[in-house]
Amino acid sequence: MSILTARRKDMAYCPGCSHGLVLEQLDQAIERLGLPLERICIVSDIGCIGIADRYFACHTFHGLHGRSITYAEGIHRVRPDMLVVVLIGDGGCGIGTAHLVHAARRRAGIKVVVCNNFNFGMTGGQHSPTTPECTCTTTTPDGAADQAFDVCETVAVNGASYVARHSALDPGCVDSLEAALRAPGFALVDLWELCVAYFMPSNDLKPQDLLTLSQRTDLPFGVLRQATAAESNRQATRVIATAGSPMRPGAVGQAPRLSWPGRTEISVAGSAGQRIRSAVATLGEIAVAGGLFAAEVDDFPITVRRGHSVSNLVISPRPIRYPSVDNPDLLVLLSADGVARAGPGLASMRPSGLIVVARDLEVPTTPARVVRFDFAGLERQAGKASAAVAAVAFAVQTAGWARPDELQAAAEAAVHGSYRGETLRALATGFLWTPAA
Amino acid sequence: MREFITGNDAVVRAAIAAGCDYFAGYPITPASSILSGMIDAFSGTGRIAIQTEDEIAAIGQCIGAAMAGAKAMTATSGPGLSLYSENIGLAQMGEVPLVIVDVQRMGPATGGATATGEGDVLFARHVTAGGYPLPVFAAADAESAYRLTYRAFNVAERLRTPVIMLSSKDIALTRQTADLDAVDLPAALSRPAAMDTAAFQPYAVQHPADVPAFAPVGGHHRVRFTGSIHDENGVLTIDHRKIEHKLAHLTVKIGAAAEWLEDVSADLDGEADTLVVSYGQSDGAAREAVAELRGARRRISHLTVYGLWPVPVAALHRAITPNVRRIIAPELNIGLYADELRRAAPGVEVVSITRVDGRLISPRMIVERINQKPCG
Repeated sequence: MSILTARRKDMAYCPGCSHGLVLEQLDQAIERLGLPLERICIVSDIGCIGIADRYFACHTFHGLHGRSITYAEGIHRVRPDMLVVVLIGDGGCGIGTAHLVHAARRRAGIKVVVCNNFNFGMTGGQHSPTTPECTCTTTTPDGAADQAFDVCETVAVNGASYVARHSALDPGCVDSLEAALRAPGFALVDLWELCVAYFMPSNDLKPQDLLTLSQRTDLPFGVLRQATAAESNRQATRVIATAGSPMRPGAVGQAPRLSWPGRTEISVAGSAGQRIRSAVATLGEIAVAGGLFAAEVDDFPITVRRGHSVSNLVISPRPIRYPSVDNPDLLVLLSADGVARAGPGLASMRPSGLIVVARDLEVPTTPARVVRFDFAGLERQAGKASAAVAAVAFAVQTAGWARPDELQAAAEAAVHGSYRGETLRALATGFLWTPAA
Repeated sequence: MREFITGNDAVVRAAIAAGCDYFAGYPITPASSILSGMIDAFSGTGRIAIQTEDEIAAIGQCIGAAMAGAKAMTATSGPGLSLYSENIGLAQMGEVPLVIVDVQRMGPATGGATATGEGDVLFARHVTAGGYPLPVFAAADAESAYRLTYRAFNVAERLRTPVIMLSSKDIALTRQTADLDAVDLPAALSRPAAMDTAAFQPYAVQHPADVPAFAPVGGHHRVRFTGSIHDENGVLTIDHRKIEHKLAHLTVKIGAAAEWLEDVSADLDGEADTLVVSYGQSDGAAREAVAELRGARRRISHLTVYGLWPVPVAALHRAITPNVRRIIAPELNIGLYADELRRAAPGVEVVSITRVDGRLISPRMIVERINQKPCG
């Protein structure tokens, strides 16, 4: 059954334009598949070919310039049983190049028909990415200087299963379109067309000159890529199997309620790679498991394994509306990067504040109480990966806000995952550590 | 049960609760953990979560998927919202149910990738060409991010519109105490479905406030979708009456739902002389400040705005009790929403408190501003 509702002569294209011919050829190819109309969707791009959606009786989708491939992929991912065909011009292939390449790479099951007439017909004959070198358009009046974009080769080397280039005047392109529609994964047919309003007259071209143009530009007609049966089979059966994962990343257990003196602001400053943030998150989980409220705001540069890493934690017996640590009650300094980042705030700390610092670090003048400790020794005992957890435990114990045995009990309920044993041991080490050790 | 989670975790959990089954996104700080969280959550479930080549492909795939019947969501930050712009217009014109999460960060441009800011509050409303309205919500913490993301799905479905849910870096990445199970969620809504038997017109509405019945691409009815101005059949039109009918509908369907879209929390004192209006990350500081001032016997009211657009004018007027002389509006931007409050409450002085250096407005800043004599 035909999916076209109009004949070529009744379509809104210029007399002599090949778009109507292409639509009829596509219709013939689709008809050979024998699909019901409701399982076919034509996604049209922008430009002269973009208005073709009105001539189809199946589902149609007409969106933005260059993005037709993205809508088609979204539809096809939800309905992989559907035939989703993109009608796109040469302009669309330029503005949407990224989508073409990556849809091919993902082997998205969409079929792309490029209606390539070498210029922007609807907007006045400007050059497009496929305008051949030395040809004239309204924006290349002295001849195009740039190399033409090889759409076919681009998708062929990036995962397309079927790629062909034809003159739209070649009746054989119906067979090629059919092969593309039947191909697994991503398929593309580049049909060279006649823009009778601009490109043909501007370059004094006749329909039969398309073949000469193909030879001159070294962009040959024919089937350029066809996946072997084995490749097709692999593509068709490719399944990404991954296990489900827990949906509750922050779930913590319940422990006896911790007593806590009030809102306390804690800041731990060190270097990226010291696992500062996960150490402070562990303390937050312990607090929440113990019935307290916690909020952790991290401060880190956009680099990953370099520079400072500061993690701020508020713990309170009441809900925390304002999670910022403006003047910490407890500051833990674990590296020179951390001192450099936290340093400017040290002078304004309260005398009641506590600074727990690795003993080899220089600390600026501060009214807060300073406790130095053997971080290197703690690191040797707890292990490098758990040193920050142990240091945080030591610092909290030094602040004296809760009993270490209660904190350890809350930790038993709070800490999960593959590092549970290691983390609990590091916490126990930190809670028992002394500055003189 | 209380948990220690981030605002981004809450967004993922809300999407699952709302029945989201399509997610596409592109990595960007501070929204990336929504992308990875959705991929983790959907793996092995048959639902689809994908990282695309760019933001344009992310929202494009979501629009295609939504028109094939999926409940779709995408998430980004300000730079990505800029890239969504044109497709948000397409989703408005084509009446696509779509949830867009914008985890704001310091702008403009790349701004501060790991620094907070809430400068997208007007951009979200005026994000695309044409000026047509779309609902915008703003989370203040993980619990409200959960509730509002879920709600955004309901609004997107009921009104067939893109909806923007704003969060920001220190909501999104702060691990905080939250009890999501205790958040009261209404029933999940679905878009109005076309009858299987009746003749189908994809964009037919009787009254401008009506929402056209939906049939999915690939279903029994033939669907004609277009981003160009169209008639009730989804066919391009140059008929002025039909154009007027369609575009009035895009405005009226949102405006007529204003009461349903109103989403505020009012903590009012009938004798108050000052009203604090806050949203987003500054809301918590405002609550702290109000509690402290009331402890010092100040008469003060507080309105938290979760639904930024449409501007909750009726709720604002209810909160302006007879003695209210000024509104205090703390914002992590250059004072963007304050002008909307001035427009909505022309008789009341609106005092802006702004901060744009990547740090938060503290309760102290608000208390000190309120304790200064009212100006003007």
